Amino acid sequence: MNDVAGTVEHDEVDMFTMVVLRRRIEAVIRNMINTLFRTGRSGVLNTAMDFSCSVTDSEFRTVSTALGLPVHVGAIDLIPKAIAKKFGDDQHPGDCFANNSAYHGNTHCGDFTLCAPVFLDGEVIFYAIARAHLGDIGFPTPTTYGPLSRDIYEEGLKLPCVRIQRNYVDVQEVIDICQANIRAPNQFYGDYLATLAAVRTGEIGMQQICRQYGVARVRKFLAQFQEYAKTMAIAAIRKLPAGRVTREARYDSETDLYPEGIPIRVTIDVDPEEGMITVDLMNNVDNLPLGINLSEATMRATCYTAVLTVLGPDVPRSTGAYNRIRILSREGAAIGRPKFPAATSCATTNLTQLLGPMVRSAFADLRKGLGSACGTLGMPASCAVVSGQDDRRNGERFINQIIMGFWGGPGLQGHDGWFTHGGSGSMGALWQSSIEIVEQQQPVLVEALEIIEDSGGAGEWCGAPGAYCIFRSRTDGIRYTGNAAGHDFPPFGVAGGLDGSQNDVLWEGRDGARHTLANSFDIILNKDEKLVSKGSGGGGYGNPLDRNPDLVARDVQEGWVSPARARQTFGVVLQCDGFKYHADHAATGRLRADISARVPVPLKAYV
Amino acid sequence: MTYELAADVGGTFTDLVLRVGGREVNIYKTSTTPGNISNGILNGIEMIATSLGLDIKTFLRRCTSFACGTTIATNAILENRQAKTGLICSEGFRDTLLIREGGKADSYDFYMDYPAPYIPRCLTIGVPERINAEGGVEIPLNEAAVKKTLSELREKNVEAIAVSLLWSIVNPSHEKRIGEIIEAEMPGIPYSLGHQVNPSIREYRRTLAAAIDASLKPLVQARIEEIKSRLSGAGFSGELTFITSSGGRTSPDEVIERPISLCLSGPSGAPQAGCRLARSEGIVPGSILTTDMGGTSFEVSVSVDWKTPMHREVMLGNHLFGVPAVEVKSIGSGGGSIAYLDAGGFIHVGPESAGAIPGPACYGRGGNRPTVTDANLVRGFLLPDTFASKQLVLDVAAAERVIREEIAEPLRMDVQEAANLICLVAEQNMVSAIQDITIKRGVDPRNFTLVSGGAAGGLHVSAIARELGIRNVLIPRAAGVLSAYGIMTGAKKMSFAHSLFTHSEAFNFKSVNALLDKLRADGLAFLDRMGVSRETRELKFSVEARYAGQVWQITLPFAADRLDSGGLETLVENFHALHETYYAVRSTGERVEFTEWNLDAMGPVSGEERRTESDGEKDPAAALIGHSEGDIRECGGKVRIPVYDGMRLEVGARINGPALVQEPVTVNFVPPDASGRVTAQGGLLITMPVQKQIELAV
Repeated sequence: MNDVAGTVEHDEVDMFTMVVLRRRIEAVIRNMINTLFRTGRSGVLNTAMDFSCSVTDSEFRTVSTALGLPVHVGAIDLIPKAIAKKFGDDQHPGDCFANNSAYHGNTHCGDFTLCAPVFLDGEVIFYAIARAHLGDIGFPTPTTYGPLSRDIYEEGLKLPCVRIQRNYVDVQEVIDICQANIRAPNQFYGDYLATLAAVRTGEIGMQQICRQYGVARVRKFLAQFQEYAKTMAIAAIRKLPAGRVTREARYDSETDLYPEGIPIRVTIDVDPEEGMITVDLMNNVDNLPLGINLSEATMRATCYTAVLTVLGPDVPRSTGAYNRIRILSREGAAIGRPKFPAATSCATTNLTQLLGPMVRSAFADLRKGLGSACGTLGMPASCAVVSGQDDRRNGERFINQIIMGFWGGPGLQGHDGWFTHGGSGSMGALWQSSIEIVEQQQPVLVEALEIIEDSGGAGEWCGAPGAYCIFRSRTDGIRYTGNAAGHDFPPFGVAGGLDGSQNDVLWEGRDGARHTLANSFDIILNKDEKLVSKGSGGGGYGNPLDRNPDLVARDVQEGWVSPARARQTFGVVLQCDGFKYHADHAATGRLRADISARVPVPLKAYV
Repeated sequence: MTYELAADVGGTFTDLVLRVGGREVNIYKTSTTPGNISNGILNGIEMIATSLGLDIKTFLRRCTSFACGTTIATNAILENRQAKTGLICSEGFRDTLLIREGGKADSYDFYMDYPAPYIPRCLTIGVPERINAEGGVEIPLNEAAVKKTLSELREKNVEAIAVSLLWSIVNPSHEKRIGEIIEAEMPGIPYSLGHQVNPSIREYRRTLAAAIDASLKPLVQARIEEIKSRLSGAGFSGELTFITSSGGRTSPDEVIERPISLCLSGPSGAPQAGCRLARSEGIVPGSILTTDMGGTSFEVSVSVDWKTPMHREVMLGNHLFGVPAVEVKSIGSGGGSIAYLDAGGFIHVGPESAGAIPGPACYGRGGNRPTVTDANLVRGFLLPDTFASKQLVLDVAAAERVIREEIAEPLRMDVQEAANLICLVAEQNMVSAIQDITIKRGVDPRNFTLVSGGAAGGLHVSAIARELGIRNVLIPRAAGVLSAYGIMTGAKKMSFAHSLFTHSEAFNFKSVNALLDKLRADGLAFLDRMGVSRETRELKFSVEARYAGQVWQITLPFAADRLDSGGLETLVENFHALHETYYAVRSTGERVEFTEWNLDAMGPVSGEERRTESDGEKDPAAALIGHSEGDIRECGGKVRIPVYDGMRLEVGARINGPALVQEPVTVNFVPPDASGRVTAQGGLLITMPVQKQIELAV
């Protein structure tokens, strides 16, 4: 099979070679991921899998971004572009570049991205890229999210695309700077080695492929593959109705500039004939004096991902498909490209989590059945970054982000929300921390982790519930920081679906009294004091009166929905024999007719 | 004459292997009787007895052993036929089975339902109690609440109970106490405790294991007792054993006690069959990839030094099976896998399968989509009138028609080329599966011997080997019944585990050694029960270890059954070395953490075959039964491929490719630039040509 294409004309790669090369390149990426997963040190890497790997060719085209976090990989091509722009011909075998700068194509400063040019016969042919979310990047406070940062100078260490290895040897000065700035320097170095190992694995893998098939043939393959991806995308877009939809939503404001909430505006324009979709973000507010401004990478990745989920899983996630999505954005806009020195440390979470659902919900407006409602917004307090000293290990310092109760998937046609969806930057890809692992790694006791009844947005298809979670400090001086959202403006429903529940962050003293905390919290809790998190549920899709009554009965049976809400919001009459709930379909029909007749009484009044 | 019998009772077929007088091995295949496994087994036994000219009673009386692999546990889970099971958990954590561990495989695949928890929430009840990470009691167990919970579960008519509390692996007192209360309050109801079923960290995996185990108890007990009594009623008085997920054999009583061990029974036999067959052919070193390609799926396992690793990440339907199982990777790629073009004109094969009904188009049973089997027929690799022991005449025209319409015409290629393309895609999918598992294990497949099993494997295994750079391919005589062969020859084996967290800088020698003593005592007691003699016993210890801060452990074997400071030093050094093997980095000087201590207590492998030397090279001409008009890409298209009758080939016969070897249930392909040799055991050993090594410009 190695030389199957030898019999074919030189200017076209045949289908046999296409099949083999596609698999080969995907195998290289999988190999990179496996390396990083098994060797990473910090919790967000090796439990949450908050990292991604990819390769692009020397023209920055990706073949597959199927295997990473959507928000990480959608615009990963910006990383090698930054290298080419900054270093030009000054790239050599054995180089590796580190980048955590949103002004150099990176997602946000907490994502530590390594990229090595892959050489063959003295020429750059590919780039191998690995991106890992670190537990700390030297912020003034122990976190990697600074939602209240006014500008980039409050966002810790900056690595604006710098050489971190030369000739396969560390540039020690850069490592020294990193270790001097980052808390838990040993954990950092372990994570650096894991990320580097992934990049080098990718480098060797791509070199092997090019040696075996010849660079020219591999390049030709890439060009053809992009054509194929383009064809797939166009075919999918042709199935959509033509039209233009504008949506506006508000986001919890933590600045005086927008006391009524920060407005976010998205317009989509679907042109089936051309096979193009335009996402217009021009009409958005200027960069905010907050850390939630989007970076170019997260803005683009979010739009691509949102559109591609609508186009379906068969469309390859590669440059050829992305090119069928035209994004209109403005430099200096919060939803757009940041203007220096705007802060972007929360660019992978907060506004990203609203932008994705807004694009998808615009499709729901275009035609019911498409798109989705809004999933959870911000990180609930159960995803706090925790730090302090561990008495059980002679006061050893620790810092980690916990990923727990990151649920609340949005409802969509035919399916309730994916339970562990989390925000739209993850879409279920993040792993949830194990309670026991969390308690082994930090002197924190998890007192509860359960779903909140009635928290999922009601709809024909419901949003997934949010989490009720309590962390109790087992020693003094444990610091919890987080960047929640969805309190004033919880995840919205679409097509008649209701909003998910609001997010709440509280702390509880030893006296049991609870106190509300702001979305962006930073609090030290001593022994036996508690952080209480109530996460948002996802928004619902379609009118709850259209939900299959049997599903409502099941939801009540399972404790997801209260009997009162089943009746008032879903209009379902339940009967209970012994322990089993059944829907009375006839009575339900009558009740639903009654409720409908009283329109325009807003349904929310029943909740 | 005495007999040893083994059966792999699958969903569609029951494979049987009979060893006669401790030497000669016969293989049989029969349809599984749906719904009643005992009938299926008895039918198989009757078939064998008849073929030997014996009545069942006489035959069974001469059987000294019967080893069985069965899908009863696996299928009960896949088909949701478990007992109605209640789950008692720590208060505040009712959703452990719902949350799972996250990590959705394809986050872009938006339109799908979230899987339901293994035990519904309405049968899951939290009780006030809490133990912390060090085993300290934060909240004492509220026994009144336990009793109230049990009466609630009784009213809900549960048939089994699972108990899984946080940190029961460090301090099992609460779980044990709940067990006592269950026995007092609901005597006779089957129950399982998390720390006993799967004593490993991570509440989801442990809770799920307890839930699966409890839910299988009523069913497994009934079925196993039935098999026992049916066999003894028919005259069998030999030793009955079952193969478990760990690939070892154990007694019916052990299986009833811990039915989760019966999950994956059957396929778990294949890896050791691959090893043993390769070994009996004198293949060294013991680096073996065992593959099994059937009608709908392709399975692969990797063995190093004749040892097949265990892992804890098997999916059983929607559920993660967190108990150590022989690592077998399975993908939806088989003879019935369907080929199609997507909207962009790219070809895909599987995972959708035409199954047995309607089956491939060439079966003439209404299948109208092209499959791998259709492609093999069209490219001349299958002969229409000798398929599946001549039980079915294949319709070449039908196969050509579907391939032409669905693949060849849209891609503007001729139908043979399209058939070759379908096979290539299927082979690439299988290569992917093999790479996944070898990458994960950090091994280079090029030095491995590829053992081919399954009815559909022999036509593709050489192409797979070529793509992976593998030189030696073995297609054993027992290829069609690989798992059953592994079951027959499998060692008696049981795994024991205990959690204990400690690390290299403050190693808890006292507790570790006490724990190893306990594991050894448990292991020896098992071997006593199984009647394994002292001189043939083997105790294999291992520990789950990681660097400080890592959360995924690797399994580190160690020889000593007590650890002193020297032993610890060796252990730590071996960890660094193993970590480097797997992940190319080591962190010498860093703290190594140990989380879980394991023991495999094993008996001897039954009846290793000895290799008989073949006396020189033989001419295969006498076995030539015809030619097939084939299409082989490497040969530039159409070729006359000689076809040999495998049953008539002599030991030592050399077959130069291209050639096809027709066996009773399989057809094997020797590619053009390779040659095959018939081995002493009747297998076909194919040697692939040397490939140019790829030099890297690093």
